[in-house]
Amino acid sequence: MEPRSREREVGTVSAPVLTEQTAPVVSAARPVWRDYLRQPSAWLSVTVLGLMVLLAVGAPLIAVEPGGTGPDVLQPPSGRHWFGTDDLGQDIFAQVVWGTRTSLVIGVAASLIALVLGTAIGLLSAYFRPVDAVGTVITDVMLALPTLPLMIMLAAVVNPSVWTLTVIIGVFAWPEVARLIRSQGLVVTAMPYIDGARVLGATAWRIVTREILPAVISLMVVSVLLTASRAVISEAGLSFLGLGDPDAWSWGRILLNAQRSGVVAIAWWQTLFPSLAILVLVLAATVAGMRFNDIRDPRRNGG
Amino acid sequence: MSKFLSRRPGRWRSAVALGAVAVLGLSGCSLNEGTGSSSGGDSGDGAVLRIGTTTDVSNFNPLQSLSKTDSWILNAMYPHLLRIDENAKKAPELAKEYRYEDGGRTAVFTLRDDFTWTDGKPVVAEDVKFSAETIMKYKLGNVAAKLTWVESIEAPDATTVKFRLSQPYAPFAEGVGFWMSIVPKHVFEKAGDLSKFPNDSNWVGAGPFVLETATKGQRYVMKRNDRYPLAPGGKPAVSQVEYRIYPDVNTMMLALRNGDIDLMGTPVPASATKTFDNDEKIKLQKVGALGFAHLTYNMNNKHLARQEVRQALSMSVDTKAVISSVLQGGGRQMAGPISPIFSDYDNTDLQPYPFDPAGAKAKLASAGFKDGNGDGLFDDLTFGVACDQSNANITRVVQLFRESAAKAGISLENQCVERNTFLSRTKSGEYDIDASQWGVFDNPMDQLRSTYLSSNPGGINYNLLKSEEMDKLITDAAATTDAAAFKDKIKNIDRVVHEQAYLTPLYVEDFQFAYNASRFTGFVASPSDLLGMVTAYSLAQVKPVG
Repeated sequence: MEPRSREREVGTVSAPVLTEQTAPVVSAARPVWRDYLRQPSAWLSVTVLGLMVLLAVGAPLIAVEPGGTGPDVLQPPSGRHWFGTDDLGQDIFAQVVWGTRTSLVIGVAASLIALVLGTAIGLLSAYFRPVDAVGTVITDVMLALPTLPLMIMLAAVVNPSVWTLTVIIGVFAWPEVARLIRSQGLVVTAMPYIDGARVLGATAWRIVTREILPAVISLMVVSVLLTASRAVISEAGLSFLGLGDPDAWSWGRILLNAQRSGVVAIAWWQTLFPSLAILVLVLAATVAGMRFNDIRDPRRNGG
Repeated sequence: MSKFLSRRPGRWRSAVALGAVAVLGLSGCSLNEGTGSSSGGDSGDGAVLRIGTTTDVSNFNPLQSLSKTDSWILNAMYPHLLRIDENAKKAPELAKEYRYEDGGRTAVFTLRDDFTWTDGKPVVAEDVKFSAETIMKYKLGNVAAKLTWVESIEAPDATTVKFRLSQPYAPFAEGVGFWMSIVPKHVFEKAGDLSKFPNDSNWVGAGPFVLETATKGQRYVMKRNDRYPLAPGGKPAVSQVEYRIYPDVNTMMLALRNGDIDLMGTPVPASATKTFDNDEKIKLQKVGALGFAHLTYNMNNKHLARQEVRQALSMSVDTKAVISSVLQGGGRQMAGPISPIFSDYDNTDLQPYPFDPAGAKAKLASAGFKDGNGDGLFDDLTFGVACDQSNANITRVVQLFRESAAKAGISLENQCVERNTFLSRTKSGEYDIDASQWGVFDNPMDQLRSTYLSSNPGGINYNLLKSEEMDKLITDAAATTDAAAFKDKIKNIDRVVHEQAYLTPLYVEDFQFAYNASRFTGFVASPSDLLGMVTAYSLAQVKPVG
């Protein structure tokens, strides 16, 4: 869709500036991915993320949903229970596997909410001067708010469920995205081809969606990854504080169970494994995002 | 940009330096404390007993309704007429004895004459009269409901108090005697409006220990009262009691193991008792409960208003499994609403509903519930179970209840929420099933009145029950003065509630308190986690070891 419309534009009116500016974005897409995955840290982190997704999707095949009570209470890791058991005799490995679902769903969904809101506000601010004044103030105010206490307050008021948590986390995560997109958007808006498009009579909607948006897409990929990793941490934090969905297994809830039943000092496995899972997921998402950021950085590519 | 870069390391350096100073300062403090108190322990008379608690004092006014830490600290300062002893029976404290006159319409307390306020004035009958009258005037706390029948109070001499009642009420003296704090009239009457009196400094008490300093979030230091007649030898052996705040129970257990505290005021979670398995210094003391955990059904829900549904729910919770797993065996089953700890009143003919999800399903099917879509769950039979997230045991129970109820075709939604949200929902009746734990009922009559009267005098009629039959049964029992007939009437109510399945009792928990037996001994534990090891009487008996 994208290349065709651009070709048409280029074809009907001769606008050399436009061609020069947009060509690399479109044609370089494939080599960028290849370059990206050539870096060991990048493919490793992408592989880890892929495995996590598989774990989440295939949770019912990998482990029985934890429930009921078992005779082996607070057992350390063994061949039978890889990650040990909790104070009800439930398998921690199964809890961690099932927890991957909640963490990933919330991470992805919340970061999508943040991305949609953040991109919309960021692009509007970048292109429309009057909106910018208001948008920047709102973004600054949101960035200055004490997010965690507010999230705790909101989560305490509404009925805790995976979806309310997602919305709360997503709504508080957009300002960073908006700021990032806006600053990149400002650079693009100042470029001659935008003026060109404007002179040719393109509507504001068209300029924002067809000219500026493609130029910030790679930045959006980066911020999805970074926001998702922050969302995972927020979810674990809220669940640990007892504000998570009580019916859905999540890594934060495993930690909360350990803390609430007072076994932190004697059952290290109940806190270590969910913490490791959080660490691995967040690290993988962050590294993947950072490497992607490096790749699209023209200074690094000599372009 | 370069300006930023050059400024940044400086800021970091100062932050790190600040952090380091803070850490050094803190460790310095704790070192001082460690040496200070351990030397105190050696010298015997100067021993400091350090107790861990999870929350701050929220209100220093003993006449108002209290949280746990409040009541621990204030009960050590302000005497009560009666206390509850190791066997859950009332025992004399400030009152030597009590009797009823005038066919049960006058309750007479005879006080000891050797209690003294820390400012030197004796504790007299006028103080008792003043305390009760203030509570009635401002309707303070839960004691106000217990004083409902009082028409007048007299203090004919320094050691006699007479409560004249509008009608005989058998457990009046026990309820008021145990719950009401006695405050110094000569101090409190100068304070004006006692419903707003913060009482947060210059404390005058007559208990074994009186607050000296309070540092919010950290510690509450209480000094010995040198004239406390219930302590062996007339004064407590411990010179100072210090409450320290540990919001997290894991940290508190580690503090006990490390010797930072000598006693955990809050019970050790059943799952965590292993923590002290290999520690010979730490001893665990087991005590019973004065309350119990329960599922209570909101009668305003059209399904829960039906007896068959409540009975089916009672049959779909495996209380035996709950006790063996969640409580690690540290608890007892119950049938009706009267706890077995009140052995005189507990109707032993009653049997708990058996755990039988299939039977529950059959019962619901014959009551007309249908499973139209064939998903194994009855249509429209969905209830929310509200509970307090911070209660480890109850949240586990709700989790298990939800799984087992699904086998009976009942779909439950886990609505365990943050504590304050839970409390406000409970207050406004926004729940289908309330899963919670009652802390202390000192006698069955007061319990039945607060939980089942439609006028809801205690504010804990969580069924929101409005039943003429129950009202009649309870009021009739309350006015019964003959002891044997009174017991029979209570047992009968026990039976009715059980048959109606207004609530499903889950368990009576055994609490375990951990203390450092190498430093202190002589605790006299009372039942319940509210009283436990830290009653005024218990603290007055504690002796340092060695």
